[in-house]
Amino acid sequence: MKTSILGIYEDEDVLMHAIDKLQASNIKVADVYSPFPLHGIWSRLKLNTKLPYATFIYGAVGAVVIFIMLYWMSVVSYPLKFGGKPLNTLSFIIIMFVGTIFIGTLFTFLTYLFREKMYPGKQVVLPDPRSVEDKFVIVIANADEMNEQESKHVMKMLKETGATEIKESTVNLHV
Amino acid sequence: MYNTRVRGILIKGNKTYSDVSRDVLRPLDEPTPIWWWVTAGLAIIAMAWGSWAFYNTISTGIGIWGLNNNVGWGFEIINFVWWIGIGHAGTAFSIFLLILRQKWRTSINRAAEAMTIFAVMAAGLFPLLHMGRIWDGFFIFPYWNTRGPLWDNFNSPLFWDVVAISTYFMASALFWYMGMIPDFATIRESTASKIKKKIYGAMSFGWIGNAKSWLRFETAALLLGGMAAPLVVSVHSIVSMDFSVSVVPGWHTTIFPPYFVIGAIFSGFGMVLTLMIILRKLYSFKDYVTDGHLDAITRILTFISLIMATAYMTELFTAWYSGSEYELFTFLNNRVTGEYTFAYWTMITCNAIIPQLFWFKKIRKNITIVFIISIFINIGMWFERYVIVVTSLSKDFLPATWASYSPTIIEVAAFVGTIGLFVFGVLAFFRWLPTIAISEVKGVLKETTTLKSFTDEN
Repeated sequence: MKTSILGIYEDEDVLMHAIDKLQASNIKVADVYSPFPLHGIWSRLKLNTKLPYATFIYGAVGAVVIFIMLYWMSVVSYPLKFGGKPLNTLSFIIIMFVGTIFIGTLFTFLTYLFREKMYPGKQVVLPDPRSVEDKFVIVIANADEMNEQESKHVMKMLKETGATEIKESTVNLHV
Repeated sequence: MYNTRVRGILIKGNKTYSDVSRDVLRPLDEPTPIWWWVTAGLAIIAMAWGSWAFYNTISTGIGIWGLNNNVGWGFEIINFVWWIGIGHAGTAFSIFLLILRQKWRTSINRAAEAMTIFAVMAAGLFPLLHMGRIWDGFFIFPYWNTRGPLWDNFNSPLFWDVVAISTYFMASALFWYMGMIPDFATIRESTASKIKKKIYGAMSFGWIGNAKSWLRFETAALLLGGMAAPLVVSVHSIVSMDFSVSVVPGWHTTIFPPYFVIGAIFSGFGMVLTLMIILRKLYSFKDYVTDGHLDAITRILTFISLIMATAYMTELFTAWYSGSEYELFTFLNNRVTGEYTFAYWTMITCNAIIPQLFWFKKIRKNITIVFIISIFINIGMWFERYVIVVTSLSKDFLPATWASYSPTIIEVAAFVGTIGLFVFGVLAFFRWLPTIAISEVKGVLKETTTLKSFTDEN
């Protein structure tokens, strides 16, 4: 079973400095758990997401699909004149606009859940449950592959950078 | 960077992160208070009365309403537009203030979004009822049928309305729910009750809150918000087109879309003010929804009220300047003077004049008066829709068909029923869900409140 070392911090700014110092001394920070989003962390851990591209594709495909639907229904399938207006009208834009948002929103949300592997009723065990309350948790992975000297060094560094508590955990979620 | 020297402290009482969750979640653990039962009882009575009206309307037909050949839209459309307007606050709060980087929104957005959901639910009932033959309601969907197949008229604003409102409801509901996921996880990990742990655990979708999930969460929230923002503008524009694409005097104007959107945001913020004053009183959230928060809302209302006044004057000016006799007649003889004078001047007084009292700091600081003015705004916005719907229809081009309109008891009951639905929904939200966005407040807490170098008090 894989073991990680957890460093628990009380303050977000102390945590940020801690990540910098740990990385400077070649200790890999595998993950950070926090009660709210910390915007400085993503660049430090080199994380990014492609979700906006997905949304753009959903929106673009949605707009096209809706236009094809409107065009086919009003012009091809049953060309019925309303008030002498052209069959293929500019007012399609309203349904296309709203429909694009509908498809974009719904599928962005579903993609988010899919990528996060989240679903109703999913059970999880957190490395330290206080991380959704008021603690910030740094995870140093693969502690069992370290020799004693290395793990002592990691613990010492965590302590030095302001961790109020250091412990080991066998919970591995996204690591 | 938020500067507390300029803007004051956002969250009072030197809260720590765990204080925030404890304070917000406290009402969920306490026994249900008496006021909750009393209000819920009243709301259920109102809903029962409303159901009676719905039953009568569906079983007999909309002929039992006070509508006539001329005034074919009455209470139902007034109330529909009124509720949709109120339903604009949540998204306006969450999105517009997010874009404007207004950090004070974090204490209020959750409740405003909840209000949106229930207001849109209440609004949606009226078009359904107005169909008359509600069992044929599925005709509105473009489905493969045996009559051709005959599709919808995609040029009809009434169809646009259906699409816009269902999209708005879905987008707001997703945005609202998504924002609550991290807070559900907080409840899951902190509650002592096993049942609560199970229920909120299931609702938290297995949230873990690591760096990557926060990144995806923030990105998805921004995307959903970014897409919902144009929806705020488009939904009420489309509602206004129900009126403005017709040729009825008083409706057939190009000012309608912006006029409706700004009116919707005005009534939405008015209702948010009403609700937040009640919420902070009942749950003693004065540290979170501070006088400063209410002050910010009143300032926005003052500004929007000025825009409303401009819109009213523009309508009058255009009626005169257009040279259209019908337009001028509607405004001068059927609104400013005439049968509906009371409704018109109530609208002007409540929306354009009374909110101007917010210019005075003394009035902004007196929460009782602020509360009363917020009620006046809600009433004024109802009368605005009354003026628009009824006055234009009652006296149109043909004097022989002029008719007056007054609602029957059934229509009043249906309206009261939707108020019951709204109040009950809000009560359920107060009772079982985190009323303040815990993770968002925690996110701005340090920067806006406890950072020593920026505070005056320390």
